[in-house]
Amino acid sequence: MNNLLQNVKLLGSESPWLSRLRQSGSSAFKEQGFPSAKTEAWKYTKLRELKSKDFIISQTTSDTTAIELPFDCYKICFENGWFCPSSSNLPQGVEVIPLIEAILFHPELHNYICKLANINTHPFVALNQAYLQEGVFIKIEKNVNIKKPLAIISHTEGSDINLLFNLRNIIVLDENSAATVVEYHTYSGDTKSGYLANIVNEIYLASNANLQHYKVQDEAFKANHIAFSAVSQNRCSKYQSFCLQRGANIGRNETLVQLKDEGAETEINAAYLMDGWATLDTTTNVEHLAPHTYSHQLIKGVVSGNAKGVFQGKIHIAPNAIGTEGNQLHKALLLSDNAEVDVKPELEIYADDVKCSHGAASGELDEEQLFYMRSRGIGIEEAKQLLIDAYLDEITTKIDNEKISQWIKLITQENRK
Amino acid sequence: MTTPLLEIEDLYAGVCDKEIIKGFNLTINEGEVHALMGPNGAGKSTLSNILCGKEGYSVTSGSIRFKGKNLLAMSPEERAREGIFLAMQYPVEIPGVPTSTFLKHAVNSIRKYQNLPELDTMEFIKMLREEGRKLGIDADMIKRSLNVGFSGGEKKRLETLQMSILKPSFAILDEADSGLDIDALKVVSDGVNALRDGKRSMLVITHYQRLLNYVVPDFVHVYADGKIVKSGGKDLALELEEKGYAEFVKEK
Repeated sequence: MNNLLQNVKLLGSESPWLSRLRQSGSSAFKEQGFPSAKTEAWKYTKLRELKSKDFIISQTTSDTTAIELPFDCYKICFENGWFCPSSSNLPQGVEVIPLIEAILFHPELHNYICKLANINTHPFVALNQAYLQEGVFIKIEKNVNIKKPLAIISHTEGSDINLLFNLRNIIVLDENSAATVVEYHTYSGDTKSGYLANIVNEIYLASNANLQHYKVQDEAFKANHIAFSAVSQNRCSKYQSFCLQRGANIGRNETLVQLKDEGAETEINAAYLMDGWATLDTTTNVEHLAPHTYSHQLIKGVVSGNAKGVFQGKIHIAPNAIGTEGNQLHKALLLSDNAEVDVKPELEIYADDVKCSHGAASGELDEEQLFYMRSRGIGIEEAKQLLIDAYLDEITTKIDNEKISQWIKLITQENRK
Repeated sequence: MTTPLLEIEDLYAGVCDKEIIKGFNLTINEGEVHALMGPNGAGKSTLSNILCGKEGYSVTSGSIRFKGKNLLAMSPEERAREGIFLAMQYPVEIPGVPTSTFLKHAVNSIRKYQNLPELDTMEFIKMLREEGRKLGIDADMIKRSLNVGFSGGEKKRLETLQMSILKPSFAILDEADSGLDIDALKVVSDGVNALRDGKRSMLVITHYQRLLNYVVPDFVHVYADGKIVKSGGKDLALELEEKGYAEFVKEK
């Protein structure tokens, strides 16, 4: 075991409830250890490099970098994993509370935290729980529709120290409420910084609630980003997510969705864009636990250099979940001879009368299309870029919010830092 | 005083080990319109692909000079920037790339090469609308993905539009009339004729004489089995229409 578990002074240690949670997280991480090549859930995403590194638990910082987003939004800002009140801009009349404050003063949170994300099956969730302190509690009351997006911004100042930080966000939408949450993970400074961001989200959608959850992972190219989102959906609720993974040497975005009552619908879309020696992993697990529940997944990757894309997608349909529809499609564009994608779709269907599909395709840029553009004077690199933009367009246009969709498109078009 | 624009000398070329072009010679001067007529399988498309630098063809001997430069050493984009344009028989569909975006990139790539200032979006759209109107191409069509869902006639009109905004010095029209009804043929050939300015040269590749009633060539060449077997004036096309290619194919 390396030094991921350290004795650092955390806030709120006087609360026995919190100490117990941290203790159980710590024990669960010790028990499972680092996922190895033999761990099925991590068989394509190798953590060797991560394991051999020394990490320092991030200390509070007073420096903050203001991150501007090209759309109007509330901001919940973190700097090197610490909540930053000065750069944040929290809404009035909606509960958006720094996690430690919510843990200590809002007992309601206890109904939600550490309930969906399982420490015994997910070592990084256990690690996250061992350091439980930073993050945000968002609670949208019944019938409230927040039009302005809530942006959770995690900024890391890259340095030669390998920081480790853990964020835990709890997002609760009560009946008939709606919100848009944007997660933006970015950095400045040393692009070769090898920090580890370990993020856990627990999301609860009550009947008829509607959450749009957009995420951009744009970490430093030697950094590591491991994220797990667990989503619980009640009757006729709707979860629409999109994740762009772009930076990071090892990036994993894992989503568990439990469709617990009729009419619940979920949409998981993701794109990854990578080169170098990176491994970017998208893992999904959709559990249809009630009749007439619906899930749609579209994941598209663009891989060049020696990079590796991973997609593991599981759809589970419980015996009672009749009339359910689940579909999944993964596509990848391979731009070099050494680019690789590993795909593992899994369907577990225990009910009759369901519609379920999965598909995977990978290919190269179309030579005829490239020639056509070049024959009109467009240079080869520019022509390739146009084709890549077109390839990703199918997925970025699925983002309902026009301004956020434009912002994400621009990020996919930027050259690597 | 004639200035040679394109000079093809004793060209031998093919695909893989199969020789398709066997001793082809042709010189096209500035301002001339040549028609190349021949039966299916004569190697007409191979020739136009080689002129534009498409990969997958090998030239075993001979030379091609364009404006005095060695064309075979240039990439497809360099050839286009030097002024070569191929109106394709089967224009490629590119889902997700709006026609206007594609055209703007093309126009500005060529302008940049020619040391002209790049057009901004406003200037470009204005120019595109004006040229589009002449060819019956509306704003809706240029917003759509390139050639996706376009009818055969629309694709050919778009090829003509591209030619009129890219202003090549040498245009190759590969079976420009295939798939066109008589009205569309009129629109396309009016567009092509508008580009005949005494400086610009064209090579019209076709196996029917029909198109040549509208785009009247200065010279007609019969192309069979990889080389030109007969050359003449525009009347040669009429003669071919009457007699067919049989006598030339037999000759080989």
